[in-house]
Amino acid sequence: MAALSDAERCAQLIVEVGANVQEGQDVEILADLGTEELTRAVAGAAYRRGARFVDVVWWDALVKRERLLHAREETLDYVPPEFGGRILRLGDEHGCRIWLIGNPIPDALAGVDPARAGRDRMPRIEESSTVIHDRSINWCISCWPTPGWAAQVFPELPPEEAFQRLRRELRHVTRLDEPDPAAAWRTRIAELTAVAARLTERRFDALHFRGPGTDLRVGLLPSSVWGTGTFERNDGLECLVNIPTEEVFTTPDAERVDGVVRSTKPLEYTGSLIEGIVVRFEGGRAVEIVADRNVEVLRVAAAKDDGASRLGEVALVDGSGRIGPLGTVFSNTLLDENSASHVAIGSSYVSGVEDNADRARANDSRIHIDFMIGSPEVDVDGLDADGNAVPVLRGGAWQV
Amino acid sequence: MRDRSRDLERLAELLVGFGANLQPGQLLGVTAYLDMQELAREIVRAGYRRGARYVDVFWWDHHVKRARAELADEATLDYVPPWIGDRFRWLGDEHAARIGLTGASAKVFDGIDPARLGRDLLPYVGEIPVLVNERTTNWCAGPCPNAGWAQRVYPDLDPAEALEKLWDDIVWICRLDTDDPTGAWRERMTAIVASAERLTERRFDAIHFKGPGTDLTVGLLPSSTWLGADFTTVDGTTHYPNIPTEEVFTTPDPERVDGHVSATMPLEMYGSFISGIRLEFEGGRPTKIDADVGADGLRAAMARDDGASRLGEVALVDREGRIGPLETVFYQTLLDENAASHIALGNAYTFPLEDEADQARANRSGIHVDFMIGSNEVDVDGISADGGRVPVLRGGSWQL
Repeated sequence: MAALSDAERCAQLIVEVGANVQEGQDVEILADLGTEELTRAVAGAAYRRGARFVDVVWWDALVKRERLLHAREETLDYVPPEFGGRILRLGDEHGCRIWLIGNPIPDALAGVDPARAGRDRMPRIEESSTVIHDRSINWCISCWPTPGWAAQVFPELPPEEAFQRLRRELRHVTRLDEPDPAAAWRTRIAELTAVAARLTERRFDALHFRGPGTDLRVGLLPSSVWGTGTFERNDGLECLVNIPTEEVFTTPDAERVDGVVRSTKPLEYTGSLIEGIVVRFEGGRAVEIVADRNVEVLRVAAAKDDGASRLGEVALVDGSGRIGPLGTVFSNTLLDENSASHVAIGSSYVSGVEDNADRARANDSRIHIDFMIGSPEVDVDGLDADGNAVPVLRGGAWQV
Repeated sequence: MRDRSRDLERLAELLVGFGANLQPGQLLGVTAYLDMQELAREIVRAGYRRGARYVDVFWWDHHVKRARAELADEATLDYVPPWIGDRFRWLGDEHAARIGLTGASAKVFDGIDPARLGRDLLPYVGEIPVLVNERTTNWCAGPCPNAGWAQRVYPDLDPAEALEKLWDDIVWICRLDTDDPTGAWRERMTAIVASAERLTERRFDAIHFKGPGTDLTVGLLPSSTWLGADFTTVDGTTHYPNIPTEEVFTTPDPERVDGHVSATMPLEMYGSFISGIRLEFEGGRPTKIDADVGADGLRAAMARDDGASRLGEVALVDREGRIGPLETVFYQTLLDENAASHIALGNAYTFPLEDEADQARANRSGIHVDFMIGSNEVDVDGISADGGRVPVLRGGSWQL
């Protein structure tokens, strides 16, 4: 029997450890054009596991570009109903959803008016969040190298070298360079689960981030619990929703966030790269948003609804993960958010709080945008109700 | 590869502006295979420039379909995810414009059991003929040259040359070599419609095909009228559903087809290759179904429902068109059916029938498969109700 290709090994990991595809399930794959090798392998792996139908929705950033350049302004909010209906039906049937990122044309939206870009949320529509929040699907997000993405990440390298470098780094961070990637992931998830349990036990009242340009207090809810990339469907089926994942996260108090925070990495959102973000929070609300580049995209998104300017997630990433030490900026949230501690404006995961009273206080929004605020230079403390500080992260190392 | 950007732009403009005749404010649904990205994007651009409200591209990948045909549980092969039909109903409800690109190569299915493959008709779904009969959408199918198709048509040329040659064919066939392709098409359509009108005036009772391996009488209904492929929607928008088109066609009596017929060209049917088709009919029903290659796939499709083995269309093509004289088999119905006279198994168009009583007699099925039975060696006669015979085509030339 021939050795499995990287794509086949990655597909197995995504289908078996990540999405945990079940016999008889429908599987929807939202795939960037450019990820054909992986996407076809995932389809094959899912059918081998007994999937009933694998439905690939291919996404082309250049089609979106044409819309943003040429469509009439008032049409840009339009979302075809079947795009969301399909996702809700997947939820009704306890289906599976897999998102494969290849970022093949990073500058697809170059020259597009960011205010127009901010109005078109495709393909990140709210139904995608609905089925996650009601925990009706098992799901996984993963990635695959493309030449376009490689050129963005390693602009100083010749194209082929850049591609090989990105390929190597993605193999490393997805642990495909291990003889048994599935076992490697089980070990890492066990470590993160233990850290999350210790953080939950402390019942911190707030977290305090301090570093260059950052002095931010993020209040937690009384029943905030820390979680990992392990996700439990509402019938108990488990999946690992990000490959790779290195974070522990919880749901903050949407009304107790104060201070200033500076992003430590660029943020890719619906095709636009937003750099040098500085946000000032008062009483939980982002009252000032500036950035060196594409600030309009973020401002439009943060004005989308009431919860869009409040925090829905706070996450910590230590330096022993595989992404941070590479020092690579992937310009993609899946990877970059797992390289550094981060916060997200917008919707929260209800699984991040235990009490129903707290659930009502968790932030709600149609958007969810993570941006990275951690680095080895950013200290993180936990504060108890009296304001006493306990070190949580120093130089990227756990102190709890 | 020569720079084809001008050809791509002109082809897109012909399909959007003339073929589908997109109106400002309409939705535009596009079906494209993964190796048709350049043309699909040109179509999206042309659509938005003409004022499309939204352009929805449905990408299809035969490699994913192959994974299903190879690996999925036998019992699931008929399953069609409901959203694909919902999407077409949505396009119908919205009175959208639609464009489908053809030219996908079935080579990817080599080695797959044709009986399994024959059960999966995707991306074709039964909602498509319903939409066509409702005349709510202005639509067009057009060819898209690509490497896989080119190698199929010109296996003896090297791949780059084959693609150049296919592009040259498409430019010629679609009249993109003229200063004004749209004007050239209007002129050709005028001639085709005049032939159709002359045929309708004769009110033939039946059409008789006689040539090598063929002696077939196809009964017509009392109110069968002959049409060229210019359609008008319920909203009064004229569109040209096939680019190219060279045929005149009508809806036959599904219960009065008698004799035997041999296909004059191979065809690709829902991804399966079929050549050397030989059918015998009695009272409209086949008493024998045979083929040199792909007989099982053909039988599976013809067993799909009650109407799948009866005729839904008869069409005549003269040799004045641009396809026949190339004497090339393109393995694509859109082109090949316009090179030669043909009949179709399965669903009938009801609009060529003037009387409601006749419309009720038209064939109904979930499939529609055209296959070519004409050539310069096949004589076509019209038979009037009193048995009189009138030559219609001799040596490929109109006799009316």
